[in-house]
Amino acid sequence: MNIIVNGNNRTVESPPLTPLLHVLREELDVLSPKAGCENGGCGACTVLIDGAPRRSCLTAVGSVPDAEVTTVEGLGAPETMSDVQQAFVHYCAAQCGFCTPGMIIAATAYLEGGGSADRVEISEALAGHVCRCTGYLKILDAVAAARDGGFDLSTTAESPHTTVLT
Amino acid sequence: MKAVGARLPRYDGVGHATGRTVYVDDVRVNRMLHVKALRSPYHHAAIKRLDTSRAEQMPGVAAVVTHADVPLLVYGHLSALGIPADEPLLASEDVRYKGQPIAVVAAEDTDAAQAAVDAIDIEFEELPALFDMRKAFDDDAPQIHHWGPIYPHFEGEMNVRQIRKGNIDEAFEQADKIIQGVYRPAAIEQMPLETQVGLSVPEPDGRFTIYSCTQALYFSMGVVAAHLQQPLNKFKFVGGTVGGGFGGKVDTATETLCTLLAQKSGRPVKWRWTREEEFLCSSTRAPWHMEIIDAVSNDGWILGRKMLTLHDAGGYARFSPYGVTKHSFHHTGAYTIPNLHFDGYVVFTNRVPTSAMRGYGVTSVSFAVETHMSRIAEELGVDPFELRLKNANRIGDTSPNGITYTDPSTVDVLHALAGATDTELAAPYSDTTREMRHGEWLPEHLVGQLGDPEDH
Amino acid sequence: MGSSAEVIRPGSPSEATSAYGDGAGAAVLAGGTLLVPDLHFGRARPERVIMLGDAGLSYVTRSNGTVTIGATTPVDALVGESSPLGPCAASIGDNEIRAQATVGGNLCAPAGFGDLQGPLLALGATARSAGAGGERSESLEDFLTDRSGRLLLDVTYAEPAAGAFASLGRPHAHHYTVMAVSGVRTVDGATQLAVVGAGTVGSRLRSAEALAGDAEAAGDAAGDAVNPSDDPLASGWYRTRTLPALVKQVLSELEASA
Repeated sequence: MNIIVNGNNRTVESPPLTPLLHVLREELDVLSPKAGCENGGCGACTVLIDGAPRRSCLTAVGSVPDAEVTTVEGLGAPETMSDVQQAFVHYCAAQCGFCTPGMIIAATAYLEGGGSADRVEISEALAGHVCRCTGYLKILDAVAAARDGGFDLSTTAESPHTTVLT
Repeated sequence: MKAVGARLPRYDGVGHATGRTVYVDDVRVNRMLHVKALRSPYHHAAIKRLDTSRAEQMPGVAAVVTHADVPLLVYGHLSALGIPADEPLLASEDVRYKGQPIAVVAAEDTDAAQAAVDAIDIEFEELPALFDMRKAFDDDAPQIHHWGPIYPHFEGEMNVRQIRKGNIDEAFEQADKIIQGVYRPAAIEQMPLETQVGLSVPEPDGRFTIYSCTQALYFSMGVVAAHLQQPLNKFKFVGGTVGGGFGGKVDTATETLCTLLAQKSGRPVKWRWTREEEFLCSSTRAPWHMEIIDAVSNDGWILGRKMLTLHDAGGYARFSPYGVTKHSFHHTGAYTIPNLHFDGYVVFTNRVPTSAMRGYGVTSVSFAVETHMSRIAEELGVDPFELRLKNANRIGDTSPNGITYTDPSTVDVLHALAGATDTELAAPYSDTTREMRHGEWLPEHLVGQLGDPEDH
Repeated sequence: MGSSAEVIRPGSPSEATSAYGDGAGAAVLAGGTLLVPDLHFGRARPERVIMLGDAGLSYVTRSNGTVTIGATTPVDALVGESSPLGPCAASIGDNEIRAQATVGGNLCAPAGFGDLQGPLLALGATARSAGAGGERSESLEDFLTDRSGRLLLDVTYAEPAAGAFASLGRPHAHHYTVMAVSGVRTVDGATQLAVVGAGTVGSRLRSAEALAGDAEAAGDAAGDAVNPSDDPLASGWYRTRTLPALVKQVLSELEASA
């Protein structure tokens, strides 16, 4: 069978019940989706399947023949980052970075679906994604700001949530 | 001074945001083998028989390693500091926690490795297990550890970490009130998003390149070298990209066994733990049992503290003595108490061994101390801010382990907290500073206690 | 790891029914949110896997006050339904899971899942299924007592006059439900209540229904009628004492909507 990964037509040899996550990582060498839990609990493996965010660890590759799969590599390279990617850099929304590919995919789908900058709505859209480092606030800042774009990536932004003890 | 005070971009931010960051599991090497472990199904058992011969003949299996293959079986991270070790890399005579590794298999894929693990012939004799550290001191408690129920190797071969400061009996004689509390925070899994993972690649020159998710690269390097009884220059560690650690990746969980398997098979060996293994078999933050008894005056001075701490080490000591030592140094929290009597024990149970997590040894005692401060305030009818500001660490005060504070921030933090919570502080609490105590801030019980910051 | 099971892809409901047969050795893959990781880790080892994606079982139809929901309808298709079904569907998993998980998968899930059992039991739904002995329709309640060897095709219920939903979730990204109570007032004026989280599957709360006019008594009756066990989410003790509050909340919501 075939799937389209980040615009490239790829032939898949793995058996149809193989989780898409492992097809991407082990067969096709697309490494940004992470095997965080492989049980649908963490969101680190989320990719876009025909534009919708899905856990690749819960998706049998045989159930999505000819699908268009987009991972964070396909959203933008270092020189061509999307606004969401730039916002994550600018707001330090990635710390260890392991949850980041899934977070950015989910945030991208949310904003492309007309999502607002409302923190509660963003939280709802990212509810399936676990981050252990950031405490989430910088991620919410980044997603809220991503729509406007225009980040100066030579600096980072101060989080509106940050309270500095004096 | 371009960096200090500036908002600099993270050096790894772009890699993270574009999916280009290479974590250990993303490293690809030709002819790589994959690992599964035979782990103890029992909390406590004797190993009566272990035979891997059938597993070694299974299809796709390249190497099987047991305790017999490890040049130095028992070694620990603290061994480098001269502290005795107790934990075998792979269990040989007994297992002391559920999930303890007994043998590891490297095979062409994880299915083949798991099939070989299932084919290992092993016989256990299940033994009674202990899960409540408070029962470790009972006469009929299960015997778990060859060192006895508690860690016996604190300095001077003492089985307890002690702090003695001032005159505790006098403090309790002078007290208006005795206020007690027991605090028992539970175990917590660090839960990094990246599970334990390692990759060891044998190089043509006889060295090993080891891709590690360790938080403590040189610790891990020393541990691998010691177990293999080879010099450090045999190992090239590639680290620095950690998919979350929070203390859980101070342990050297995979690197040594991957390297032994790589040595035996002559092939690169990767071992990535499942989330289930991470939860069930990796170290956790310890459960603690803390009893605090404070001698206090009616006007809110803490004259003395007696404290008993039990730290649940699980089946082996790992870093626990270090954790309890740090804990003892911090057992007055951000406050100054001149008369102290602290006893802390590292207790062995049949839980998974406990280890570092975010403020090792300190987070637990901070929880206990702050809760106890609020309890004291409530029982005395004193404002909780005022109680804390009164007893706050000041320049010249001394810590439980005798360090003179030169720049303590307790007062400033409390003032900031009051501001953030719109709490009006009355004078003189609103004007307290971190400066050396004098006047009414130097009550009778602190006279003669102050150190000279110039000495530090 | 992975499954070497035979994969069958029926293209219609009747093909699905015949492919399923008596269900021996078969696992049904609809959304896959439960089955795919079970296959990957070898926790499930079926001989054959029936993929229902193209089986034509994803539909919501309405006629004369009757609603029929196909088994592979995604959970998020129900989010806009009236209470208790809509609010319950909205409380399941997260948006990604809801878009992938199916109604049938949820109803047939093992203990600890199956939130939709609550509202559909309260709605008095009928389950249509295939398996040994052919197709049959029965109450969802009967279906849940023995789901093994059955392929759920769809569920049908009559739209209620009013509905209410009360849930004790946890502040977690996935909001695993500790316990939830669904309530319905039928067009005939009857009150129907059901609970999930008090046993291995959802159940009707008939003793509470009989006392629906007295919320206090109904809550107590519900608490007396269940004997939940402990699990990692909550103790049975806690659940037993929580149920009356949820029942009272649902009854007062039903009262308010009258």
